[in-house]
Amino acid sequence: MARPLGPVRLKRTNPLTLVLGGALCIFILWFILGQSTSDFSATRKAAAASHPLSPPTSPFRKSTSTGGKSKPPPVVHYNLNNVTITHNPVENRENVLILTPMVRFYQEYWDNLMKLTYPHELITLGFILPKNKEGNAATTDLQKQIAKTQKSGPERDRFKSIIILRQDFEPPIPSQDEVERHKMQNQKARRAAMAKARNSLLFTTLGPSTSWVLWLDADIIETPPTLIQDLARHDKPLVAPNCFQRYYNEDTKSMDERPYDFNNWQDSPTAQDLASKMGPDDILLEGYKDMATYRALMAYMHKPEDDLHQEVPLDGVGGTALLVKADVHRDGAMFPAFPFYHLIETEGFAKMAKRLGWQATGLPNYKVYHYNE
Amino acid sequence: MSPMLPYASSSGSKAIPRHNVSGYSNGYPRGNTFEISPHRFQPRGTTPSYRRRRRLLVRFTIALAVCGLIAVFVWPRASFLSLFSLGLLSSGEDFQLETVRYYDLSNVQGTARGWEREERILLCVPLRDAEPHLPMFFSHLRNFTYPHHLIDLAFLVSDSKDRTLEVLSNSLEAIQADPDDMQHYGEISIIEKDFGQKVNQDVESRHGFAAQASRRKLMAQARNWLLSAALRPYHSWVYWRDVDVETAPFTILEDLMRHNKDVIVPNVWRPLPDWLGGEQPYDLNSWQESETALALADTLDEDAVIVEGYAEYATWRPHLAYLRDPYGDPDMEMEIDGVGGVSILAKAKVFRHGVHFPAFSFEKHAETEGFGKMARRMDFSVVGLPHYTIWHLYEPSVDDIKHMEQMEQERLAREQEEKEKAEKAKKMKESFSDATSQWEKDKTDMQNIALQEKKKKDSPDGTPKDQPGKQAPAAGKPAEKKEEVHAAPKAAAPAAKKE
Repeated sequence: MARPLGPVRLKRTNPLTLVLGGALCIFILWFILGQSTSDFSATRKAAAASHPLSPPTSPFRKSTSTGGKSKPPPVVHYNLNNVTITHNPVENRENVLILTPMVRFYQEYWDNLMKLTYPHELITLGFILPKNKEGNAATTDLQKQIAKTQKSGPERDRFKSIIILRQDFEPPIPSQDEVERHKMQNQKARRAAMAKARNSLLFTTLGPSTSWVLWLDADIIETPPTLIQDLARHDKPLVAPNCFQRYYNEDTKSMDERPYDFNNWQDSPTAQDLASKMGPDDILLEGYKDMATYRALMAYMHKPEDDLHQEVPLDGVGGTALLVKADVHRDGAMFPAFPFYHLIETEGFAKMAKRLGWQATGLPNYKVYHYNE
Repeated sequence: MSPMLPYASSSGSKAIPRHNVSGYSNGYPRGNTFEISPHRFQPRGTTPSYRRRRRLLVRFTIALAVCGLIAVFVWPRASFLSLFSLGLLSSGEDFQLETVRYYDLSNVQGTARGWEREERILLCVPLRDAEPHLPMFFSHLRNFTYPHHLIDLAFLVSDSKDRTLEVLSNSLEAIQADPDDMQHYGEISIIEKDFGQKVNQDVESRHGFAAQASRRKLMAQARNWLLSAALRPYHSWVYWRDVDVETAPFTILEDLMRHNKDVIVPNVWRPLPDWLGGEQPYDLNSWQESETALALADTLDEDAVIVEGYAEYATWRPHLAYLRDPYGDPDMEMEIDGVGGVSILAKAKVFRHGVHFPAFSFEKHAETEGFGKMARRMDFSVVGLPHYTIWHLYEPSVDDIKHMEQMEQERLAREQEEKEKAEKAKKMKESFSDATSQWEKDKTDMQNIALQEKKKKDSPDGTPKDQPGKQAPAAGKPAEKKEEVHAAPKAAAPAAKKE
């Protein structure tokens, strides 16, 4: 048929097209709405507290109604008999609390944290930072990264909740520089302040739902992404990986690594002998030439040819990376800020845990890496 | 359709067909009519596409709105905003969820006038089989004068076989639902944890010497679990309170806080039945260290626990409880080393810095005494108030109960005896009083007879001058006696009843 002259008429729309279009629209609608109620968010929603006065390990619902009387907080039951601590934490959906005392913020630390494969919706992060210039700078950097992850990052990367604490450290640490920091006479005061910071962080954030506490220093910049699962697999009350540091070896003209954390050790008769001769307020320190303790250090037990998951018993632990069952802390094991059996901070913690019946374990071949200044 | 086709030639017009030439195609000749709007006829078989499109749009919008409405009803909190943001922003819940918390611990150090600075207190109560004491505890709770909304409550219910948990949560729900806003407390957590304690909680086994060390370690463990689960970064103070305190001032929180000490305890006594002396020091765990005790501690092995108040360990320590003077200044302070757990107010920073209730032997002490020792070790001030007293509930011990049973029996026996005695006396009195009245009656009768006889005798001859004087009392006597006769049974009756 010849095309008639006249106004160009649009071809009549096929009803099928309309139906298809409508269906598509509805599908898109459903997709957008449906996504927000997927089980991913549902678990988060279930974990959320209904009132701001709640354990900080869970997020809380912001009150949407600003006007009117606010309802009194609800009576909340927590059954700690149901908080499991098993060697398979992912399957049992166990909550992990990662605690970090922080003075300086390293981007590598955060990047490493983001790479952890443990489900992020089960991870709560806790930070404590000093209230000084350095601490303020670190807080700003940290908050920038947190905002990026929690607000605009993909849902998969977001952590369950994040707690930032600020505290005045009583004897102000002159500097966080490595040389100053490691001077022997500064050690006792520094580590006492550090112990108080750790305890403050621990006892205000532990809450009723945590199964595992991972102590991770702010200068640990490289760990295997399966760190939590690997350490939990051992099902030990305290598990410490071996802390190493990467450096440029001038001799071989290449990158190399060396042991870093000397606070993971097995006790020696020499050290006990030293301790017995000390006054009640003196402390034993590791890694100083003028105090030879002859303790067996885990740092030197590393053998590349051995099994990655080899275990050794420990009497003292360092806090650089340490996975602890929450029950150990709940029983009262803390970081003594005073000489406890001539030990202080993390080493004293291992001793106190032992007094409560919990033995520390070390993994000499499982390595994490410390920042190199 | 061909006749409708606007062929210019068919119209016979000479005008050059324009683009609106369709006007001439209606079959009518154009003629000489000057048309603006030509008559034209088009079969309305199909609605114009623009109208169809509009209708479709309207329908679609309606459908969309309905869908939206349904969505709103199905997911009340769902993300409607994500529709408009096309899901580019985070999904709905996260608009409502706050995942980041920031706290400055230097704001929660604890000061002497905490209620003015709105400092929050965490009130910790460990419970086990405590159902009978709960109503008393909740009456205390209602009476606290410290602003309730600044007090967070935390309870640990462990190994309870009675209805503690049920009664507790019902009472707490009732408080939070109270029409009076001033009654509502802050965060309320009920924590359940069973430690599998084998030690009985009754008075005898609780205070037996042998059970003390392991019992105190388990108690310490329970306290630590409670604290670690309930302490928050916004707490300035922590108050430990036993559920079985019978009497305490309503202002106890402010009273203790006012001293601005890191750890502070009042004196704890308990009322006793009169036969035990009326009152007694209760909490012997608040004490000052002594040389004897330190020397004793050195001789004991690592896991030994010195417990106070038992003859096995003679420590010669000055106890807070024994220093009480009922008329002393309630604000007087005393430095102590061990503390009792009935009522402890401590700054939250003490617990934040790691002081806890050792569930192991810390300097030969455990639980609250070890807590005091550890606080002193970390240079916190630990203080007791010897003249500020709260009263613990009196629960009779097995010996006391035996003694009381014995006393009760004695009392009953005595009562029985007295009853019997009284009955005997009544009987005797009754029989005696009969006799007396009879005797009196006889006596009066006889006197009357004698009188009449006298009168008969006296009336003929004149009596001596003093005779009437003598007679008068004689005449009066019988009258008096008569009255007495009437009175006697009356008086006897109530007396007998009394007995």
